[in-house]
Amino acid sequence: MRIAVAVVGALCAGAVLAQDAPKGSAERGKKLFVDLNCYSCHGTHGQGGGRGSEPPIPLGYPWAGFLQQLRKPRLDMPAYEEKLVSAQEVADLFAYFSSIKAAPAAKDIAKLRTF
Amino acid sequence: MTKARTTPSQAPEDESGLDRRGFLKGAAAAGAATAAAMTAATQIAQAAEAKPAQPEGEANMRGNAFVSRPGSDFMVDVIKSIGIDYISANPASSFRSLHESIVNYGGNKKPEFLTCMHEESSVAMAHGYAKAAGKPMAVLCHSSVGLQHASMAVYNAWVDRAPILMFAGNGVDAAKRRPGVEWTLCVQDPAALVRDFVKWDDQPGSLQHFAESTVRAYKMMMSPPQDPVLITLDIDLQEEPIHGEKLSIPKLSLSAPPQADARALREAAKMLVAAQNPVIVADRCVRSQEGVDALVKLAETLQCPVICNGSRMNFPSTHYLNLSESRPGLIRNADVILMLEVQDPFGTLHSMGDPWKDVRRAAKPDVKVIHITLADFLMKSNYQDFQRFQPVDLPISGDAQTSIAPLTEEVKRGLSSARAAELAGKADATKKRYRDMQERTKTAAALGWDASPVSTARLSAELWNAIRNENYCLAVSDRVAWPKRLWPTTKYHNMMGGSGAAGVGYSAPGAVGVALANRDKGILTVTLQPDGDMCYAPGVLWTAAHHKIPLLIVMFNNRGYVQEVMHLQRMAGLHRRDPKTAKVGTMIYDPEVDFAKLAQSFGVWGEGPISDPDKVGPALERGLKIVKGGAPALVDVVCQLR
Repeated sequence: MRIAVAVVGALCAGAVLAQDAPKGSAERGKKLFVDLNCYSCHGTHGQGGGRGSEPPIPLGYPWAGFLQQLRKPRLDMPAYEEKLVSAQEVADLFAYFSSIKAAPAAKDIAKLRTF
Repeated sequence: MTKARTTPSQAPEDESGLDRRGFLKGAAAAGAATAAAMTAATQIAQAAEAKPAQPEGEANMRGNAFVSRPGSDFMVDVIKSIGIDYISANPASSFRSLHESIVNYGGNKKPEFLTCMHEESSVAMAHGYAKAAGKPMAVLCHSSVGLQHASMAVYNAWVDRAPILMFAGNGVDAAKRRPGVEWTLCVQDPAALVRDFVKWDDQPGSLQHFAESTVRAYKMMMSPPQDPVLITLDIDLQEEPIHGEKLSIPKLSLSAPPQADARALREAAKMLVAAQNPVIVADRCVRSQEGVDALVKLAETLQCPVICNGSRMNFPSTHYLNLSESRPGLIRNADVILMLEVQDPFGTLHSMGDPWKDVRRAAKPDVKVIHITLADFLMKSNYQDFQRFQPVDLPISGDAQTSIAPLTEEVKRGLSSARAAELAGKADATKKRYRDMQERTKTAAALGWDASPVSTARLSAELWNAIRNENYCLAVSDRVAWPKRLWPTTKYHNMMGGSGAAGVGYSAPGAVGVALANRDKGILTVTLQPDGDMCYAPGVLWTAAHHKIPLLIVMFNNRGYVQEVMHLQRMAGLHRRDPKTAKVGTMIYDPEVDFAKLAQSFGVWGEGPISDPDKVGPALERGLKIVKGGAPALVDVVCQLR
């Protein structure tokens, strides 16, 4: 929940929209997401891990908030400084996130309707 | 006791390495003397009687006596008298006589000997069994190497408040130890290894002492707070014949659990009735369905939300007052918090950042806290499972489960009709909050639904759909977060919590122990099994196959120790170094473990690895068929990391 608050904060701070982000490669971003171990908490599709410390990354996350959370994260997420993750790599990561298709809604998934 | 054994230099050894010549003389009179003892009035009530020893009628070819009534037979009488159904062990020479007595003298029934491949498995099985069966089983091990193997599992059980009757074989008399290995296996003070995390231990010096200490140990172990106990089995006591000792087995009478002080409960009730936003936090509170039902009554009477920490299934997830998923908001807004056997009160009211360790208050500064716990009654110094000290406004020593019903009565007495009506008026809003919470959870579960590797939410949903018409039990319910969030739980046995101390290696054997208890109750047992945990002692798969323990093991195979990946990432971030290296030393690939083949090699039906989420459900159905036929099965699902 703390992370969710941070995400909301970052979203509010991110007045810059996706189209304002530098151009990146979704393919490279997907590989980076695994190489940098981002997926260990957030999942390969940004779905999170089910616990508060493993938050999902909302689709439509704005570039400014994305950059802010990566470089100077709120709460417990490690910082990924430029010497470790270049500006281009951040753009690639963002491009990957922007390419993820929305999951089906829970109401449309038969096996979730059983709960 | 008989006279001392001769040394190897004085007389040839038989294959066992023991000289029994000296047994003949004393044995002749043993039967009559023991029989007389059993009819004599004793100061101790008799729950069971030792059978009289038989005279030693024959000698072997070397002239050594046979022992037709070893001390270990009496030990079996004692163990049977206290109702132990199973005894798990990796075979070992230091308890060979008791092992033989269990099988031949005791008929290998109640207790039945369960063959294990690691002492850690023996203990973890007993740990899981105790929570599911509501009664302990016994464990046998060497007092040195066996207990060393077992020790982490004992610590897990200690933290998780699970009763286990441990026996450790040991040769006290150094003059009688066989040269070589028997010396290296013997210990001066066996219990020293685990004394910090067992409730009580003893090293009996006679069979009567064994009977009394074993019954005492059982009684102490079962009085809340329940925890493991350890009795040392002297080799000579086991192997030498029963003589003229007046042996008797004390009657086992369990103590009533300690109920909290009535005045303190009255004060707690006043605080709860007056509270505007009370919250109940239940941790290792409940031991049975009776406890679940009692907690439901208390919560309904107060219309008070409940947060279940998951160590036990304290409160049905189907009940609208179970708002565990809304924990932060509930804690933040609470004016009174009732904690029930909460292991970490400080952690309930605070969080701590990592790696900078900044403390963040999670509750109001003036929140009033009531805590019903027996923690003060069983706290030791060395191991720090008691957590950071947290002052509470109304600390109450007592067994939480036993104290809930009288607390509810006090609440009812303290409720005016107007206040009761006011509380009842909160129900609709709480029900809406509950429904909203459920919808948010399902929305979150849908994220990554079609991902490959399979998302843990999808895996949990697939498994639920496979078992939703069954009387089910999730044997280890804390390794994957989603079942606790999603699955409808109504019964105590639906979810069995976790290891207690986070000692990795519990999940697989713990689940087998739970499944063993549930086999006898007709409850279907499934488990979500982390791959790293399975790699500790996979021989428990063979134990499950050999003893026909039905259990559906669904591998939560993320191919790594992923918690540690996250720690490495955090450290790399703190040290301003490359985060990509976090996989070094933490991931389990190159090569990848094939868990289906591993299972098959131990005689367990296995299928996988499965990475396609659409193939998980059908594989689970196939596995379930095997389990319903009375055998274990394993489905290996390659999952997202968390």
